[in-house]
Amino acid sequence: MADSIIELKNVSTVYEGERVPAIRDIDLTIESGEFVAIIGPNGAGKTTLLETINGLLPHTRGQVRVLGQDVARFGTQLRSQIGYVPQEFQFDETTPVLVRDVVLMGRYGRIGLFRRPTAEDYAQVQEALELLGLAELAERPLGKLSGGQQQKVLLARALAKEPKILLLDEPFSHLDCAAREEVAELITRWHRERSLTVLLVLHDLEAIPQSCHRVVLLNGGRIRHDGARERVVRAFTLAHRE
Amino acid sequence: MYGLPWSLIITLVSGAALTGAACGLLGTFVVRLRLSSLGFTMSHAAFAGAALGLALGIEPLTLALVGAILTAAVLGPIAERAKLPADVITGVLFPLTMALGLIFLYLAPGTAMSSSALGLLWGSLFAMTREDLFRLLGLAGTIALTVWLFFKEFQALLFDRKLAEESGVPTRPFYYLILFLTGMTIALALRLVGGLLVFVLLQSPAATAFQFFYDLKKIFFWAALFGVIYAGAGLGLSFAFDLPLGSAIVLISTLGFGLAVWRSPKRRRT
Repeated sequence: MADSIIELKNVSTVYEGERVPAIRDIDLTIESGEFVAIIGPNGAGKTTLLETINGLLPHTRGQVRVLGQDVARFGTQLRSQIGYVPQEFQFDETTPVLVRDVVLMGRYGRIGLFRRPTAEDYAQVQEALELLGLAELAERPLGKLSGGQQQKVLLARALAKEPKILLLDEPFSHLDCAAREEVAELITRWHRERSLTVLLVLHDLEAIPQSCHRVVLLNGGRIRHDGARERVVRAFTLAHRE
Repeated sequence: MYGLPWSLIITLVSGAALTGAACGLLGTFVVRLRLSSLGFTMSHAAFAGAALGLALGIEPLTLALVGAILTAAVLGPIAERAKLPADVITGVLFPLTMALGLIFLYLAPGTAMSSSALGLLWGSLFAMTREDLFRLLGLAGTIALTVWLFFKEFQALLFDRKLAEESGVPTRPFYYLILFLTGMTIALALRLVGGLLVFVLLQSPAATAFQFFYDLKKIFFWAALFGVIYAGAGLGLSFAFDLPLGSAIVLISTLGFGLAVWRSPKRRRT
């Protein structure tokens, strides 16, 4: 039996200044190497769930364990092993950073305090840039790129980290059809070749990659369905029809 | 320069250069993290602290340091957690620190508008001592060393705080380190530039550097250099036209920043 890499027990997360939890009573176990899609309508709590898992949002109840460690205590160290591509990002034209630096920054947590990036770090950055077709843009300012290119840069940043877990929040939202297929293929290949655990938040059911066999349906901050792709997608479609 | 002893000229020029370099380096954080309102309030708290020092007969610099660092310690968490808009912080606390500073000056023995009191407000060429110079040297060295040691962490923080946390960089200690160093810098720069105008050196040199570069290493370097140029040119202008030093630095900084905005390659279309 595979090891649990992510474990949430009775977890609720309330935003600062709010009274109603954005996610509530979540019990979820993800095994190492799984590829899971999280679907649900707007405001279902999908982003909150991802950011509770990597500890960017502190949970208010329950227990979150990732890679066998308590996220509340070891969040910073754990995040250096978790790749995350956020849904919302906005970099204005004057943002003082080059594409290569953004990708390299993904590795800063791994590199640690008082250490400089090594040749291996730069090699990983180059590989990630090439995988996403960004090598020619490496010395461009991030703010000068299109939304789709910026999203690819954030994905390259997450991959350059050589993560054990990849959390992707609507990673295709700024991409055109061709780029979407390319990126989906890349994620699938990384999942397969590197036994990477992937959690993918999507609202477009058509965009769920074929290799993703498990789907979790969130609604109103609770898990409504969790199981085989076809069954959960059917339940979601039926619920929306009613 | 007008028959002044060389030792005094060297102290003044070095003091201006070190103040400019320290403010330029820290200004990079102030500009990018939008800490202007916080720095503005801290500079006036330092002024109020120094004025209290004059009133009580205690070394003004000591209480200026206390005022600036206390403000950083109180306002940092408020600005960070309560997410108060910058204009609210400035609107509430700027009049308070200014009022306290003026009350303390009024209570200071002798004439309220004595030369030392005016020096606190506008900055003074001759308030700078050799001890101040050594303190500034220590401060500028500490800031440069801190930036060099933690360049990665600062770069991540200045790019995007949430993404820095996401990559496993603990941003909070670095954020507070920046506030602490800003408070120290403001207090030490007070003698030269004055409480009312010290903030311009934390803003203009870095804002000028941001007009030209995307690479953070270059921005740090040029912000420090612009700080030295503005402070040095302000010193020259002050000597030449017998102007208050703080005001002369403001005039030069504003002119420099205006030129930078006009010539900025970031705004060119071709």
